[in-house]
Amino acid sequence: MTPIPEITTAPGGEPVIRARGLMRHYRRGSETVRAVDGIDLEVHAGEMVSILGPSGSGKTTLVNLVSCLDAPTGGQLWVGGRNVTGLREDELVGVRRGFLGFVFQKFHLLPTLTVAENVELPLVFLRRPVNRDETMAVLRQVGLEDRAVHRPRELSGGQMQRVAVARALVTRPKVLIADEPTGNLDKANGEAIFDLLYQLVHGQGLTVVLTTHNLALGYGADRVLTLEDGRVVREEPGRRGRAAA
Amino acid sequence: MRFILLAAKNLLRRPVRSVLTVLGVGLAVAVAVSLTGFNQGYRQSIEESIQKLGFQVMIMAKGCPYEAATMMLKGGTGLLYLPADTHGKVAGDPDIQAITPIFVGVAAKEAASIRDDGGDTAFSILAGIEVASFLQMKPWLTFKTGPGYDGGRWFEPSATQEVVMGFEAAEYEQRKVGDTFYASVAPKGRAEAVRHEFRVVGVLDRTGTQDDGTVFMPLGQAQAIFGRPDELTILGIKLKEFSGAKLREFEQRWMKLPEVQVVSLQQVKTTLVSLVGTAQTMVAAVAVVAVAVAVIGVVNTILMSVYERTGEIGIMKAIGASRSDIFQLIWLETLAICVLGAGIGCVFALLGSRGVEAAITMLVDLGVKGSLVRITASNIVWALAGAAVLGFFAGLYPAWRAASMRPVEAIREGE
Repeated sequence: MTPIPEITTAPGGEPVIRARGLMRHYRRGSETVRAVDGIDLEVHAGEMVSILGPSGSGKTTLVNLVSCLDAPTGGQLWVGGRNVTGLREDELVGVRRGFLGFVFQKFHLLPTLTVAENVELPLVFLRRPVNRDETMAVLRQVGLEDRAVHRPRELSGGQMQRVAVARALVTRPKVLIADEPTGNLDKANGEAIFDLLYQLVHGQGLTVVLTTHNLALGYGADRVLTLEDGRVVREEPGRRGRAAA
Repeated sequence: MRFILLAAKNLLRRPVRSVLTVLGVGLAVAVAVSLTGFNQGYRQSIEESIQKLGFQVMIMAKGCPYEAATMMLKGGTGLLYLPADTHGKVAGDPDIQAITPIFVGVAAKEAASIRDDGGDTAFSILAGIEVASFLQMKPWLTFKTGPGYDGGRWFEPSATQEVVMGFEAAEYEQRKVGDTFYASVAPKGRAEAVRHEFRVVGVLDRTGTQDDGTVFMPLGQAQAIFGRPDELTILGIKLKEFSGAKLREFEQRWMKLPEVQVVSLQQVKTTLVSLVGTAQTMVAAVAVVAVAVAVIGVVNTILMSVYERTGEIGIMKAIGASRSDIFQLIWLETLAICVLGAGIGCVFALLGSRGVEAAITMLVDLGVKGSLVRITASNIVWALAGAAVLGFFAGLYPAWRAASMRPVEAIREGE
């Protein structure tokens, strides 16, 4: 078995996400699936971490756990300095709200809402005032200020993913979790989204944790974790991490 | 953007399904509101019709009292007669405030009218009355005025060829003051009708009662042309004090007369209401079933919508929606369908009330004239409130299902 590499501490002090022996096991018939099997992890503020690995390696399960969308079956997890292990779903909502932003592979925009309304949706749930100027500022950030009144069906895949990024950014989260954000995009759009995320990290101090199948893109992050069978088998600096070092 | 807007936009995602569900609710509410309106309207119509007869008690020939009373309320044939001297016998009763003798007969209008549409309209109801006592019962009767109608007056008691026409009778015959009214009457004991000509000396204003369709003439004249000089149809009586006890006393005093019966219009009202009550109960059951089906339709629509949007619900939870947010959203959608449906149903009911009335009167002889379906503001408010309550309960299960979804599973299922 490949030994788990020692976690390197990235600059930024106290980690925004910390896991110790994190596990997510579940039953499938008579079999126990160890989707995440004892992962130790630290993500620091202002870094971009890629999680790589083949299908079924546990990437999505891991990000679901660290984003408080799913509950671990073992180990300990701290998000934003708070131990979230064992919290109920309604308590996890409180952790997610405003602290975490999400981008998914399939965009998941609401088709009946305009681009601007999709972006403003998290603010509605957070009971925060909706300010169209701020919405436009976020859309400008992702290069879609001229698409505010369009419906998702009128956008390309790359544009829809930019809207999803804007939706994640509008609440000014500390950490952005992106599960296969380039999985449904062509090469050019995939690179553009990746660059956008990288700029958000290094231009605005956002923390990004993303999963991807695309090794070329994944290695563009500050740090790269490779998963196999629910375990971290390799942790290494990405190209940009190495360049920065 | 608020929750209500978000809920509305979700409903518009499947417009045909949403509209059909709203219409289903609307139809059920329309039926319920129409029935409630009919219930109220019918009772009120009976009350008004009886009130406008002007008397509380009738003395009439023995027979079915309700048939006779119904005939007095809405007109009809198959009349029975009582001896005219009954008037003299009863008039002295100490409990009577006013009494009026009425003779009712039916005349053919053959070759008389400028219209020729046959059927029931080829008959006129002729009522022989004593003007003074009749007006004591119905002081509200007034004469129509305007070109062709001015100068209307009641006939003299001794007049032999004068009539006063009710509003609708005059309209239908297109008669004005001074015109001639023709009627063919088969006197008692003769098969062939005798044609009579009368001068119209007045046309009454509309009353909304059977009086509108009646042609009035002096009592003696009516008895004479029908060949029944010693007979009456009814004696209309107003008691000094109208109570159950007084009525029973009065009945006991006059039931001793062999050929007559005393009929209280209160009893008639109760009987008419109960006759229709059975039918109303059945139709109300249909309305309840319609509402139940509509509610099931709403639950089904919202559940389908929840299942279709499983992934979206997961995403909404991921980006910050709490259980109560999702519950509220789905519940608002249900409520919107129900309240909107109820609103449309009320409009249907208001617009269709005349149609419902026509259908009911075509199917059932209700024995009264006037508006039968009366939808009031309180009916509308109750319908909307009822729909909101139904929406509240109908939305509980779908909203709970949606709120209970775990985000990660919902997102996975949605993919």
